[in-house]
Amino acid sequence: MKAFSSFLGKEFQESLRTYRALIMIAAFVALGVLSPLLAKMVPDLLNGTDMGGGAILRVPAATALDSWGQFFKNISQLGVLVLVIVDCGITGTELARGTLTNFLAKGLSRSTVIWAKFVAASVVWTLCYVLALLVTWGYTWYFWGNGPLPHAFLAFACLWVFGEFLIALLILGGIIQANIYGALLAAAAVIIVLNLVNIAPQAAKYNPITLAGGTVNLLSGQNSPGDYLPALWICLAAIVAVMAAALAVFDRKQL
Amino acid sequence: MTDVLRVENLAKSFGKTTVITDISLSVPAGSVFGFIGENGAGKTTTMKMILGLLKPDSGSVLVCGEKVRFGMTKTNRFVGYLPDVPQFYSYMRPQEYLRLCGQIAGMSTQDIARRSTELLEMVGLAKVSKKIGSFSRGMRQRLGVAQALIHSPQLLICDEPTSALDPVGRKEVLDLLHQISADTTVLFSTHVLSDVERICDRAAVLHHGTIVLDGNLADLKARHGSTGLRVEFSHPDDLARFCALIPSGLLADPTDTEITVRTTDPKADLAILHLLAEHDILPVRFEVLAPSVENLFLEAVA
Repeated sequence: MKAFSSFLGKEFQESLRTYRALIMIAAFVALGVLSPLLAKMVPDLLNGTDMGGGAILRVPAATALDSWGQFFKNISQLGVLVLVIVDCGITGTELARGTLTNFLAKGLSRSTVIWAKFVAASVVWTLCYVLALLVTWGYTWYFWGNGPLPHAFLAFACLWVFGEFLIALLILGGIIQANIYGALLAAAAVIIVLNLVNIAPQAAKYNPITLAGGTVNLLSGQNSPGDYLPALWICLAAIVAVMAAALAVFDRKQL
Repeated sequence: MTDVLRVENLAKSFGKTTVITDISLSVPAGSVFGFIGENGAGKTTTMKMILGLLKPDSGSVLVCGEKVRFGMTKTNRFVGYLPDVPQFYSYMRPQEYLRLCGQIAGMSTQDIARRSTELLEMVGLAKVSKKIGSFSRGMRQRLGVAQALIHSPQLLICDEPTSALDPVGRKEVLDLLHQISADTTVLFSTHVLSDVERICDRAAVLHHGTIVLDGNLADLKARHGSTGLRVEFSHPDDLARFCALIPSGLLADPTDTEITVRTTDPKADLAILHLLAEHDILPVRFEVLAPSVENLFLEAVA
C-alpha cells in the first residue's frame, strides 16, 4: 500500500511538473466556457443571414438545453481528444525510456504501476470533467437559468465512464507496444470500430460510443435511462476487461 | 564464504537467436565480481534474468538463497541495480528521486532521510538541488549508484557502469564501486578490461553464450603463469650482448636499453638471471610480466 501511494504521488507530481494536468484543466475550463457561449452566440450570428432568393435565416433563441448540447458535443470531441493526447504516454513512455526499471528492480509490483497510473489519470480526468461541467452549469444558469434536468447524474456519468474506458485503453495500448503510438492506435482503433458498429441502429443501445455525446437527450426527456443503461454496463465491463488485459500483458512482458 | 548469487544452467533465446546457451556462476559474499564479455555477449540479458525482468528458457537463479521468479520482484529486496544508462524522471531533484526509491523499497521516512544524505554525500551530489534533467552523464551515473544502494542491498549489480563515461567520470564511478565493496558484494559487467583489473577480485568471461573462464583473479593469473620478462640495461651495449645470448624468436618490443623476452616457461626467469651473471651483464631492471586480464580474456575467447 505504501508503494502504491508513493507511486501514485509520483504520478500526480509528474502530471503537475510536466504541465499535463494544467493543460487538461485549461482545455476543459475553456470548453466549459465555450459551450454556453457558443449556444448563446450561434443564433445571434446566424439570425438574419440572407440565404439567397430573398430567404432570411431565422434561428430560434437558444435555451439551456442547447448549452448542454454544446457541452456534450465539445467534451466528447475536443475534450476526449485532449484526454487522449495528454494521457497517451502514461505507460508507453515509461517503458520506452526504461524509467520503471529502477523501481521494478526494487520490488515494485507491476500491478501497482498499472493501478497507480489508472487512478492518477482518472483523478485528473474527473477533476477536469467536473470543472468543465461546473463552468458550463454556471454560465447556463446565468444566461437561461437551469430548469429541471431529468436524469442529470446518469447523463453526465455516461460521458465520464466513456473517458475512463479510453484511459484503460491508453494504458493497455502503451503496455503492449511500449510506446505512445501503441496507446494512440488502441484508442483510435476502438473508437473507429465502435463508430462502425453504430451503423446498425439496433446496436447503438449496447455500444459504449453512445455514451459519448448522445446523453443530452436524457436531459431533454427525449430518451429514457433504459436507452443508455445497456451501453453503460457494457462499457463498465469493457473497462474491467481492458484493465485485466493490461495487468496480464504487463505481468508477462519481458523488460 | 556463502554465495550471494548462484546462477545454474541458465539459457535464453530471443526468437531464433540464442543469447545465453548455458551459464552457471556463483558470486561469493564480499567479492567484486567482473562479468566480462564483448558487446552483445549477453551480459545485460543475464543481469535482467537475475532481476526477474526477463524470463529464462531454462535454469535457475538464487539470490541470497531465494529463487528468482520472473515478474515477481521479491528477491530484489536483496539487490541494487544500476542499468547501463540509468533513466530518471527529469522533473525530479536527486533528493526527491531517492525519497521515492526509498518509499518503493519500503523504508521508513527516517531511514530514507539518513540514507539519502549519506549516499548523496558519497556520490558527490549532496549540494546539487537542480532537476535531474540538467544532469551530465557522469552525474546521472553517480545518482544511479546512489539509487541502487538506497535500501542497503547485499548485492549491487551494475551493467557496464563506466562504458559511457569520460575518464574523469569513469574514475569516479570505479572509486565509488571500490568504496562500496567494503560492505556490499558487487557484480559488474564490462568490456573495459582495465576496470576489472583495477577493482575486481573475481571474474567470469562470457563468450558465445557460455562462461569460458571463471574464478579468483589472482588464481587465474597464477594458473596462467608469466607471459615473459622485461629486462632493462643502463647501456645499449649491454642490451646487445644480452640479445646475443637469447634466441631471437623470443625477443620482442626492444628500445635502446630495454627488451622483452616472451616465454611461458616458469623456470625461464632463473635461467636468464644465471645467464646474465655468467656473462657479467648487470640489468638495472628485471621484471616478470604477469598476465593481464586482457591476456586472460583474449586467451579465453580465442
